[in-house]
Amino acid sequence: MHDPEFNVEEGQIPEEILQKWEARGVSRRDFLKFCSVMTASLALPSTFMGKIAEAMEADNRPSVIWVEFQGCTGDTEAFLRSNQPTAAEIILDYLSIDYHETLMAAAGHQAEAAKQASMEKYKGKYIAIVEGSIPMAENGIYCTIAGDSALNIARKVCGNAAATIAVGTCSSYGGLPAADPNPTGAVSVSEAVPGVAVMNMPGCPLNTENLTAAIVHFLTFGRLPATDNFGRPKFAYGKRIHDNCERRSHFDAGQYAEKFGGAGHRQGWCLYKLGCKGPETYHNCPTVRYNESLSWPVQAGHGCIGCSEPQFWDSMTPFYKRLPQVPGFGVEATVDKVGLGLAAATAVAFGAHGIASALRKGDDDSKGKKED
Amino acid sequence: MSTLELRYVWEWPVRLTHWINVISIVVLAVTGFYIGNPFVAVPDVNAYVMGWMRFLHFIFGYLFAISVVVRIIWMIFGNKYARFKAFAPWASVEGWKNMLGTFGYYTFVKRKPPFCVGHNALAVVAYSGIFVLFIIQILSGFALYGQFAPGSFWDNTLGSLLVVFGSQGLRLTHHLIMWLLIAFAIQHIYSGWMMAIKEKNGTMGSIFSGYKFIDTEDES
Amino acid sequence: MAKKIAVDPITRIEGHLRIEAQIEGGKIQNAWSSSTAFRGIETILKGRDPRDAHHFTQRFCGVCTTVHSMASIRAVEDALKIRIPDNARLIRNIIMGIQNVQDHLIHFYHLHALDWVDIVSALSADPKKTAALAQSVSNWPLSSTTYFKGIQDRVKAFVGTGRLGPFANAYWGHSAYKLPAEANLMAVAHYLEALEWQKDIIKIHAILGSKNPHPQTFLVGGMAIPVDPNSQNAINADKIALIGKLLKKARTFVEQVYIPDLLAVASFYKDWAAIGEGVGNYLCYGDFHMDNSGGIDNLYFPRGIIMGKDLANVMALDESRITEEVTHSWYEYSSGGDAGRHPYEGETNPKYTGPQPPYEFLDTDGKYSWVKSPRYNGEPMEVGPLARVLVAYASGNADAKGAVDFVLKTLGVGPAALFSTLGRTAARGIDCLMLAQKTEFWLQQLTDNMGRGILEVHNSEKWEPSTWPKEAQGFGYHEAPRGALGHWIRIENGAIKNYQAVVPSTWNAGPRDAAGKLGPYESALIGTPVADDQQPLEILRTIHSFDPCLACAVH
Ligand code: HEM
Ligand code: HEM
Ligand code: NFV
Ligand code: SF4
Ligand code: SF4
Ligand code: F3S
Ligand SMILES: [Mg+2]
Repeated sequence: MHDPEFNVEEGQIPEEILQKWEARGVSRRDFLKFCSVMTASLALPSTFMGKIAEAMEADNRPSVIWVEFQGCTGDTEAFLRSNQPTAAEIILDYLSIDYHETLMAAAGHQAEAAKQASMEKYKGKYIAIVEGSIPMAENGIYCTIAGDSALNIARKVCGNAAATIAVGTCSSYGGLPAADPNPTGAVSVSEAVPGVAVMNMPGCPLNTENLTAAIVHFLTFGRLPATDNFGRPKFAYGKRIHDNCERRSHFDAGQYAEKFGGAGHRQGWCLYKLGCKGPETYHNCPTVRYNESLSWPVQAGHGCIGCSEPQFWDSMTPFYKRLPQVPGFGVEATVDKVGLGLAAATAVAFGAHGIASALRKGDDDSKGKKED
Repeated sequence: MSTLELRYVWEWPVRLTHWINVISIVVLAVTGFYIGNPFVAVPDVNAYVMGWMRFLHFIFGYLFAISVVVRIIWMIFGNKYARFKAFAPWASVEGWKNMLGTFGYYTFVKRKPPFCVGHNALAVVAYSGIFVLFIIQILSGFALYGQFAPGSFWDNTLGSLLVVFGSQGLRLTHHLIMWLLIAFAIQHIYSGWMMAIKEKNGTMGSIFSGYKFIDTEDES
Repeated sequence: MAKKIAVDPITRIEGHLRIEAQIEGGKIQNAWSSSTAFRGIETILKGRDPRDAHHFTQRFCGVCTTVHSMASIRAVEDALKIRIPDNARLIRNIIMGIQNVQDHLIHFYHLHALDWVDIVSALSADPKKTAALAQSVSNWPLSSTTYFKGIQDRVKAFVGTGRLGPFANAYWGHSAYKLPAEANLMAVAHYLEALEWQKDIIKIHAILGSKNPHPQTFLVGGMAIPVDPNSQNAINADKIALIGKLLKKARTFVEQVYIPDLLAVASFYKDWAAIGEGVGNYLCYGDFHMDNSGGIDNLYFPRGIIMGKDLANVMALDESRITEEVTHSWYEYSSGGDAGRHPYEGETNPKYTGPQPPYEFLDTDGKYSWVKSPRYNGEPMEVGPLARVLVAYASGNADAKGAVDFVLKTLGVGPAALFSTLGRTAARGIDCLMLAQKTEFWLQQLTDNMGRGILEVHNSEKWEPSTWPKEAQGFGYHEAPRGALGHWIRIENGAIKNYQAVVPSTWNAGPRDAAGKLGPYESALIGTPVADDQQPLEILRTIHSFDPCLACAVH
């Protein structure tokens, strides 16, 4: 079968590594494909394949402690949709997920003991993954696990990790719990635990392809990939949605869907006027897409809501309008209504002023002496 | 006895930049309004309406930015009517008197505006405000412009604005300032017209020619 | 002597659940259910655009990821009297149907199974006997000796690394595990297969809604996914074919793997048909509209309530009798006192009175949970697949009757067995099977509509807030995987005035009420045997049988 993504020579990866993986039930072909997809995702030259393969060696499986605080488990679910490699492969072959409440068999104090053991054994070496924001108000009582606050747990888990990855917009930037008026004082991991190295992988939920690529990068180079002003890895958040969008030609042409289900909408015209936030959102959704590259929001006819941007619940709303509300005006006042009102008011005021001053007496003694 | 004297007030850089600004603002407001709210229905896939609108917006954005920068530099080298000081009436007692006087005139409290050769004192306050808006508009414009190319010059220089104000915040500001400029323009043209009539000093003409009529008695 | 224990975190669920239990003589004598996390999304919603609400509420939960969009949108549509186009009804049914199916499968294999299946014991199974067992219960093709040998080797290699990852430190070898080694191995194989399967079949959400979790496709008034056989940017013949293929894959797995496994495992745990009964009252809003009238008379799962396990008497449900109490929840009502509030008048004012972290035990005499206590006519109600299936069964729904009778007969038990931990788990399978079989029908209807040139997906008549009344209120319901979900909205001047959600897991996980009546989790735990209070596997069994979702419950 012809597979365009898969053009790898076996020689690039040492034979004994391939054999080891085969012994563990991962076929040669699958492993090669995995390495090649990873090299491509991370935009590395294919000569790095060998290095990636070495990094994935069996006993190198890094320990991962995945904690969830004020989240919705959407990022975990996203992770379960992983395809290259699959979640089963990741769990069995690539990582050692020593703590993850949604997946782990142990419960209660036995679960906590597993976490403790792994933290001690792999101190400074494990990867911490955090899902959900951390409530800071009232001594952290808005989220406790096993009797301790999310804040204390984050300090311990992230403080002793080799690296922390914040998955999803909640742990990256506070996300939904931090939306106005932020009832629980929710913050991001980097705000809650300043000083630890955190890489943000926002998205609501994050795209699991990006998570796998970031982990492989870490395994290969021993450090996390380069990040932008918002702490997001550039390989995944380096470009705006809008600049890679398949509907961009319609945007440039000036063809906009005016109405959901209308002709332009059915023909795949640009969703700008239906509130698409692609022009202000950095994410690789149009190129990587979701669920095995099947689709992404714009492809399915709904505008981007900017879910990988900080504070998007406040800055990108209302979602079906292009711009936020002008602060202090009602929900129906768009910036153009407010602006037009302002311009009209000016015109009216000065028009009136003009009439009044035309009627003003005494103006005609133009040779005016100074009045007083 | 008073004599009328023709005086050279607005040097050519002031006039040139004024008119470049006026033209750019008109183009930027029209194209910007379209960018914000593309109101033309385009049936042809091969059209490039938004493309051209944005292209024009960026070209005139550059032109406008250069013009504003030149004008600001001229605040150092220009004559006394063009300098920084002329834009800061609040820095002198005389200036305050002028401001209050003009305010009184506009609000019908006084019958005559105080005398001035350059900008009138209240207008100058508006102008300094307008220059601030110009600068905000340019900064927000170029910050937004930098978005399409992370790592580019504009992104590196102005990207921090996106961090501090957020890109939606900047867009909203940019859009809102367009309206403020339109409102200013209405008021400005009206005031210029009124001054021209009431003061009969050639205010309107001056921005073309550079010359105003000065009543020497008033000046004393 | 009674001993109090705390299980925190309850794992293999969604969210943060803590169970405290008093154990005496190897049985639970008293229990308290608590959620220890709060986000305050109802408060965050105030003042916002009602059309945006569904994006917020969808993030109540990433597991039942579509359901709060659905309920939210229905609440707004109810408030504004919006009728949706038929295509929108069908697309919604397909999305919801497959959500239930996938969610149930994940629950059974990845969240619940390890309560019954001992992975370590699978290592000593005979692959040949496993193959024989598998073939005796199903036609599923992946059932050869080599196949099971391969799985076993893989698990052995994994265990051989000495690093068990998510399987470390569990209750392996616990005396309550009853399956023979071969059944354990079969279940482990299906655990892995189901992990693959779930990500495949949920692609239906990606096709109809861009991605999963958190599809982006619902709209007040309909759907955002266009339908047009002549466009490559819409649901066209190609996509219908792909959805059809995935639905078939879904149904086949449910029929040939899930249901046979469920029955095979259940047959070793029939004692659990007498454990974990709970409150015995069941509430179901009903769902899956069979026509486009917008009424509730023609729902695939009918609406109704059952009180005191009386299947002979399914009563009509009156939404206005629902209240939420906060006597034992960390909230206070502005009116003070213990009286419950109907959701239109509902309030979410947090007031934490529990111990400061780190703590050992909660103050279970006072307030002890972030979950409120919903009541119907003052009574606690269980919701979920069991309630849904019971109401359908007792109302004479033929599909439900067929499936329930088949399961009861295969297990050799009577209907009373349904009121139990095992019954809950079985009902989830029945629910899953019914929907896996029905969803293809809705796809067919959608295809027919397209063939007749019916392409409308969104009713935009009342899209603009300028067309709305100054004040409006609405109730949106949905039968989510975990049961009856309700959202109540009040709209004023185009903005959200008040928003309240009463979620399936709120009903089930809620604490005691002012009258001291236990919530369904709490009440189901009473009498549950616990062989070893250090390894309370049995607590997990009963709690997991409800499929808890605490992010949902508290929101
Ligand atoms: C008086 C001057 C200007 C006015 C009135 C103006 C007006 C506007 C308006 C109304 C928009 C639409 C905003 C929205 O609704 O999203 C806009 C967008 C924009 N403007 Fe300006 N603008 C001005 C100057 C500039 C300058 C100096 C630049 C610098 C390059 C600039 C760059 C941009 C950019 C990059 C956009 C976004 C275009 C896009 O997203 O496709 N503008 N402008
Ligand atoms: C028909 C159009 C216009 C005319 C006839 C006009 C006329 C004038 C005149 C006469 C002055 C000098 C005023 C004084 O003595 O106080 C002036 C200054 C100024 N005008 Fe305009 N103007 C026009 C449009 C605009 C527009 C659209 C803008 C910007 C929105 C603008 C911005 C300014 C500024 C910032 C100054 C101060 C100039 C400086 O000191 O460099 N003008 N204009
Ligand atoms: N309880 C609950 Fe949900 C469901 N099903 C929602 O309504 O899980 Ni997250
Ligand atoms: S970022 Fe989104 S998907 Fe992730 S936990 Fe937060 S709300 Fe859920
Ligand atoms: S659909 Fe959105 S991202 Fe795509 S071109 Fe239009 S505005 Fe840009
Ligand atoms: S909403 Fe999120 S998923 Fe991508 S297209 Fe927009 S960033
Ligand atoms: Mg609620």
